[in-house]
Amino acid sequence: MTTMTSSSSTASALPVRRSAARRMWRSLYRAKWPLLALAILTVLILAAAFGPLLAPHDPNRQDIIARLKPPFSSAHRGHVYFVLGTDGLGRDVLARLLYGARISLIVGLVSVFVGGVIGTMLGTLAGYFGGWIDDTLMRIADIQLAFPFILLAIIFMLVLGPGMMNLILVLGIGQWVTYARIARGQTMLQREKEYIEAARALGQKTPGILFSGILPNILSPLVIIGSFNIASVILSEAALSFLGLGVPTTTPTWGGMLAESRDQLLAGRWWLAVFPGVAIMLTVLSFNLLGDWFRDFLDPRLANEN
Amino acid sequence: MSYIERKRRRRITALVSVFLALVALMWLAGVRRKHVAHSGQVVQFTADANTIVIAQANDADTLDPSDVGSADTLNVARMLFGTLYDVSPQGELQPFLAESYQYSDDGRDITFKLRPGLACEDGSPLTASDVAYSFDRAANPRNHFTGNASGFLIPSIGYEGSHVIDPLTVSIHTAKYNPIAIGLISEMLVMCRQPYEHMSLREASTHPSATGPYRLAEWVHDDRIVLERNPHFKLRQTRYERVVWRVIPEGSTRTAELLAGDVDLITQVPPDQIDAIRNSETAKVETVTSTRRVYVGFNMRKKFADTDGGKAIQDPRVRQALQYAIDVPTICEALLRTPCSRAATLVVPRNDHSGIAPTPFDPDRAEKLLDAAGYPRGKDGVRFHLKLQAPRTLYGDGNVAQAIGQYLTDIGVETEVDLLDLSVYVLLTRQHEAGPLFLLGTGGSTWSALYDMSDLSTQDSGTNYTSWHDGLFFAAWKDLEQTKDPAQQQEIMNGMLREFHEGAPWLMLYFQPDVYGVSNRVHWTPRADEFISLY
Amino acid sequence: MIRFMIRRLLQSVLVIFGVTLVTFLAMHMGGDPTYLYVNEHASDAEIAATRAALGFDQPLPVQYLHFAEGILHGDMGTSLTYRTPAVDVVLRHFPATLELTLFALVVALVLAIPLGVMAAMRRGTPVDGGIMLFAMVGQSIPSFWLGIMLILAVGLGLRWLPISGRVPVLDPIFAGDIAGGIANIPHAIPYLIMPGMTIAFFTLARTTRLVRSSMLEVLSQDYVRTARSKGLSELRVVGYHAMRNAMLPVVTMLGLEMGFLLSGVVVVETIFSWPGVGRLVFNAINHRDIPLVQAAVILFSVTFLVLNLAVDLLYAQLDPRIRLHS
Repeated sequence: MTTMTSSSSTASALPVRRSAARRMWRSLYRAKWPLLALAILTVLILAAAFGPLLAPHDPNRQDIIARLKPPFSSAHRGHVYFVLGTDGLGRDVLARLLYGARISLIVGLVSVFVGGVIGTMLGTLAGYFGGWIDDTLMRIADIQLAFPFILLAIIFMLVLGPGMMNLILVLGIGQWVTYARIARGQTMLQREKEYIEAARALGQKTPGILFSGILPNILSPLVIIGSFNIASVILSEAALSFLGLGVPTTTPTWGGMLAESRDQLLAGRWWLAVFPGVAIMLTVLSFNLLGDWFRDFLDPRLANEN
Repeated sequence: MSYIERKRRRRITALVSVFLALVALMWLAGVRRKHVAHSGQVVQFTADANTIVIAQANDADTLDPSDVGSADTLNVARMLFGTLYDVSPQGELQPFLAESYQYSDDGRDITFKLRPGLACEDGSPLTASDVAYSFDRAANPRNHFTGNASGFLIPSIGYEGSHVIDPLTVSIHTAKYNPIAIGLISEMLVMCRQPYEHMSLREASTHPSATGPYRLAEWVHDDRIVLERNPHFKLRQTRYERVVWRVIPEGSTRTAELLAGDVDLITQVPPDQIDAIRNSETAKVETVTSTRRVYVGFNMRKKFADTDGGKAIQDPRVRQALQYAIDVPTICEALLRTPCSRAATLVVPRNDHSGIAPTPFDPDRAEKLLDAAGYPRGKDGVRFHLKLQAPRTLYGDGNVAQAIGQYLTDIGVETEVDLLDLSVYVLLTRQHEAGPLFLLGTGGSTWSALYDMSDLSTQDSGTNYTSWHDGLFFAAWKDLEQTKDPAQQQEIMNGMLREFHEGAPWLMLYFQPDVYGVSNRVHWTPRADEFISLY
Repeated sequence: MIRFMIRRLLQSVLVIFGVTLVTFLAMHMGGDPTYLYVNEHASDAEIAATRAALGFDQPLPVQYLHFAEGILHGDMGTSLTYRTPAVDVVLRHFPATLELTLFALVVALVLAIPLGVMAAMRRGTPVDGGIMLFAMVGQSIPSFWLGIMLILAVGLGLRWLPISGRVPVLDPIFAGDIAGGIANIPHAIPYLIMPGMTIAFFTLARTTRLVRSSMLEVLSQDYVRTARSKGLSELRVVGYHAMRNAMLPVVTMLGLEMGFLLSGVVVVETIFSWPGVGRLVFNAINHRDIPLVQAAVILFSVTFLVLNLAVDLLYAQLDPRIRLHS
């Protein structure tokens, strides 16, 4: 008993390429908030890319004499200056924030990509072929859905050990089901369309049909879900860091920094929580806003209302 | 769809829902055991002068006196059960349930004289047979106990059996003379035969029958343990009618509860919250230097010898050099937020008469020694690479380990710090697989140097985590057994400690400062041996 | 209908076994847990004896078959740390978790529905903007951070609510003392508010947005226009005709949201020292207490499956177009 969106919505979302880009930009420009989100994300991505050049200090260089310095303070007779203060080991918060942007964004984007690719692939296959492939994959999906994600993540992170690759893997595997289910539903709809039947009649091979026929037509809902999932993955990373199961604590991530700050809040060392907290919030907010906009943009029913 | 059809379907759906809900409830009720039920009274304990509320991170895992092992569990169990001897707040052994003991001539039998008038929880007299039962029950391999008594005490004293001479006299047989047997036996919780003989092991783990100052009133798992005064215990005056142990795993939450006044005493205050408590009007900080020696172990197993750093630390000159690399006082001051006592050898300072001083912080000297030992800095400034493994949640939440990594890197020993989950770390250390460097704290005692040294009682002892091999040191244990003359023993021990200092299997850091948060409502002073006593 | 139920039940059994198999394999990948259950002074012989006593010396397939056979008899093994049947340990922690998640769900719905409807009705106004901003921010705050902030601000700063602890409601009810449980509710609520809000916040934010968008969609439909044109009061139109249909996507999400709330308990129970299954299972995973982990995972999965079934049934109730078939 799956409910489907009306099939016309996806088809009409695919006009000619060039005008699509222009329509997109105009829609973005009119909506304002998503534009701001895009601007924020651009800044973040630039910071992540060029962080090492901007960072005033080595993010892992400790200086326990100059620990827990508030923002805009200096240490060692004014020779070293910390714009955003230092953490519990005297490491520069600004530098860690910049390096953390890189790790957090990589973890977010790559794990969504990993999950998205696996999910879309399996979902498309299940939807196209049906039969036992479909049954098996959907049962596996059921198993995963019935397994609280956090438990799965805790068990695997504990077993595999902390590390960025492991984290990406766990977070990616944690979300493939979402994509698989949507891809499957959409594929089942597309499979019955005339153009696919025509392609089949013309003797096009199955992989070709899947890749050039079906995939482009089912991609947009997946991209929307993906943009929302980047947001939730960043939050999951923070939750795992709180439980001590993220990347190694020596590698800076926003979630890890926020988790480390929890002992400091009571003593009023706000800068340790506020900066990574704001960074996480802005990123998540931006991805959500963009996701929202993208969905409205692709869904003509809502778009017409504007 | 017709109206009737819709109505009928709705009725079916409603019926099915009710049925499902019932099944779910029955399933819950069916498998439910009696543990689930508890009254759920609203508890408001503080403000009552006769009650103290203590918060620690973990619940007791079992309250079976033969099986208790973890520190948080022992804290609770020590209020429920008496011991033959115990350690005074000043750190000396003193009589408790027993009034005296006597070694036999060959040192293998220890005869304890019990105090008259001791009682079990039901008021019946506690006699020598109960003491014998306590030993036998813990020693029985069929019970599969893993706690302190069966895993450590019984094998350490070489327990072979006991003999009830009269209702107040019991004699304990051991395999060989052990000069610290009384101290070890002071950790043996005494229970009454009568109630425990009638309980399964499962029942016994949750239904302690007290022989100590308090008895169990309520245990809500993972929430609180409520103890109330044991009216049949007359030996010592207890300060409170009721003791409530609350389980609060998160450090910040413990501190917040203390500051809000809902908890009177908290353990393991995170270092960076010390100031917050000090500045408050409701509570104060009490610190004490514990007997726990915190050190960096050099794992000398072959397994690590194929890395450049693992090979380097096989050389005692390297191990000695690294002792100078770490600024321990600054670590204590900055990261633990409390001055701490430096560790020089594996013996607690009050019992250490070897005259060995703690190594000072002298990075230049460390570098010179490393140069001399044949490990000069390479082109990139690195002498060799090491990995330091440490538990994430201990020792300033991993901060100490990270700081040590920085100090070592500073002298050209590129050190990667690997913070692990405590359980993973314990698995590694138990199998002697942690390393090549690992940060560890092991408990010593206030009452005997030999107890502290027993970590290295044999070369393949489970607690020789570094797999240190040193002929002279381990052979000296035999010499110690040969003599009962304290002066001669001291001489041998001093020699062993010098050997330990030279061999440097441990990079000695400090004695763990224990930090407690104490409400202004109560007066309480901490003890060095981590026990929480309320006499 | 009946066939649908039977089929769902069979699928559920399959799912449960799948879940246990995954847990089993993952937990055993972490190495031999025996060392955590022997004293640090134990000799090799003692370690071997303990390993045999715990059954970890058997080949993995044998261990799993043994375990699966146990489940069929209703025996999920004995917890290694508590030394009591794992199922008992989990069940005595379960009411606390159920209480917390149900409270969170109710809070989320009770707040989200009016907020979402209000935003939809006042579309484009500052009210709408404010509610949406709140929802957006609510979806971007890590729950542990929110929890600690609540403790500091509401618990410690304002002293309005207790910081940690719990007064049980469901435990006495499950034990048969329904009146006692209900009588505890007023005392329990102060303890529930902070942890409940912490878990509910994300769901609250997400549901508010869902309600708003689905309400907007419904309000533009023909039948709402018809209802309006018939001269029905706005309250009647929105409160009955529109609401009923706007709730459909919310109900669809309920099952998943409940799963999400259950995921949140691990962190929140740790912060507020709530004696529930989340913290229990986290500790069990850390102590490699495999039977306890299994029992908890099974419980979570069963809860999830039962809830989803209930949601499907509810959905069929609300939407006459849906027929239950497989």
